[in-house]
Amino acid sequence: MSLTNLAADFRDRIPEYALEYPNVESGRDARSEWTLVADAIVVGTGAGGAVAAAILAEAGLDVLTIEEGSLERTETFTTNVLDMVRRLYRDAGTTMILGRPGIIFAEGRCVGGSTVINGGMCWRTPERILESWEREEHLPDIGPKAMEPYFRIMEREVNPEVNRSDTFGRHSVLFEEGARKLGWKATPNLRNMRGCAGLNNCAFGCPIGAKQSTLVTWIPRALRAGARLLADAQVARVLFDGSRATGVTGSFVGRNRRRTYRFSAHAPMVVIAAGARHTIGILKRSRVRNRWIGKNLTTHPNAKVVGIFDERLDAWRGAHQVHQIHQFLEEGILIGYAMIPPGLLATTLPGGGAEVAELMTLYNHMFPAACLIEDANRGSVRLGPDGEPQMFYSLNRKDCETAREGVAKTTELLFAAGARRVLLPFADLPEARSIDDVRKIRERPAQPHGIELMTVHIMGSARMGADARSGATDAFGRVFGVDGLYVADASLFPGPVGVNPQGTIMALAARAATRWAESDVRQLRRRAAG
Amino acid sequence: MSRPRHLSPATAAILRAVIAAIRPRGHGFDQPIEEEVLLEIDRSLPFFPRSMQRMFPLGLHVLEWSPLLFTGSATRLTRMGREETERYFDGWLHSRLAPRRMLALGVRALVYLAFFQHPTVLEAMEVRWGERVSETVRLRAATLSS
Repeated sequence: MSLTNLAADFRDRIPEYALEYPNVESGRDARSEWTLVADAIVVGTGAGGAVAAAILAEAGLDVLTIEEGSLERTETFTTNVLDMVRRLYRDAGTTMILGRPGIIFAEGRCVGGSTVINGGMCWRTPERILESWEREEHLPDIGPKAMEPYFRIMEREVNPEVNRSDTFGRHSVLFEEGARKLGWKATPNLRNMRGCAGLNNCAFGCPIGAKQSTLVTWIPRALRAGARLLADAQVARVLFDGSRATGVTGSFVGRNRRRTYRFSAHAPMVVIAAGARHTIGILKRSRVRNRWIGKNLTTHPNAKVVGIFDERLDAWRGAHQVHQIHQFLEEGILIGYAMIPPGLLATTLPGGGAEVAELMTLYNHMFPAACLIEDANRGSVRLGPDGEPQMFYSLNRKDCETAREGVAKTTELLFAAGARRVLLPFADLPEARSIDDVRKIRERPAQPHGIELMTVHIMGSARMGADARSGATDAFGRVFGVDGLYVADASLFPGPVGVNPQGTIMALAARAATRWAESDVRQLRRRAAG
Repeated sequence: MSRPRHLSPATAAILRAVIAAIRPRGHGFDQPIEEEVLLEIDRSLPFFPRSMQRMFPLGLHVLEWSPLLFTGSATRLTRMGREETERYFDGWLHSRLAPRRMLALGVRALVYLAFFQHPTVLEAMEVRWGERVSETVRLRAATLSS
């Protein structure tokens, strides 16, 4: 039975199949140039933009939300990885962060942004991070106590919860056992979901509607409050009247991702929430001047470590990452795991066709784990010759040491869980054959060459600061030196948070949008009118 | 079978020769799906970054005409035998020149991705992920109603 038929049958029992999306238009349908007017424009519908749009709309503003990707409804999702990557991922997942080493980067491009394709991990910002932002970065009202109400707003909407044990796959059980044998605590993972049944398709859109991405939470809420959504529309730059933002301009995106007609939208309030790469692209193309725009990029690099077990695990069966190891967070290491589809895993294996084929016969015995590094270095986002933002980031010595230790710890865990051998992310040390080989990992020089890394978290490229010398925006995302221009995504972070960042992005957006609605809107309207 | 819509016939011919040479084989991976792998890559092309949409065909043509430069052979890639192509491509994969290596790694990634996600290959690997959708929809509906 196709999911469409199934969704029709279960429409009354699975609320995400019955969601309504009023006030949505698609740039694909445009046959001419468009001009739109609103009280507030929000660019992007991910963890930051969707929250800001809902809160501003509920405050009574006429909100126009603009999204480059398409509205892809839950009941159209499938388990066809390639099809979903084309529909939901920016550049079909082919983005690279340039540096030593190059880092593969993936983000969403669809209504809901990366919340549609992430694993749903939804943590509050660690208190030590918020305390340092308040004390050392001099950002007001951002400590754990001040953030508490905004975490609660976020949690009420997206419902972070832990998985029931009947949704665990065999690999999750082994992960917990391995941790216990080492005396480590496997922390049950908080994920934004309702009734996850363990399909493990999170990274390609949740066809059963369990993941509470912004596609099924904040966006419908914003639309119910009267916000409008323009999908398939790519914002190129901000429009200005002197030092006041007055709108945005861009192009519609047709089938096969070709740009078609131009559009412009006008409002006294412009919120950019296109992610830590494309927010910078828009600000730089708009010639917004501030030394922090495009600086301070952090990337949470992930190193993949694959255990091969004698027993069959079928890691594609059972819920996505139901545990994480948090006890090394202060060392900058978070350990987790994820199902990687065969095609994606094969691309990272060494050797030619015959060798890869031999390794892939063991696919159902493989357990892909990973360590996430709270990175110490900082990179940048710059416009390339084609006007598109490019990311640059290299590991420094400290990051290399943290990555090496993270890989060593993850390898220890996999051997403790019963792995026979472990595939490592190092070109010069591709495999550990026994627990004794962990010593070789720790003795490996701390150098960036030959480490295979990927990430799904980029942050910090338009950081908040106490003033224009220390940040691109104030503590509430107001861009210094430009009236009516705001940022509401992970670009704002002064540094990495060390855990999955969507909870932080949503809470910061809720905090900022609440403040704008309370104190900025009337003033902006008055200035626009006068 | 349909034809590539986004790759030119000449570019498709080069990619076809590369797929035939580097595709996984043996160990139960002998499915005759080269043309479907090619079409899957062709379908993805419009979704790549614009710079990559331009560079990818260009890179394939460099691959086609470079044997003379890198191996001293006067035979272009599409005229080589399978094993010779495999050796030639392997030279690119392990090249000290980053652009050569990156192109080869990129092509290899696209081929493996399309190959190992093909339904017949997933079936041969006993990865029956799609079959779990209806089971998990029912389970979730039951969970929500309880």
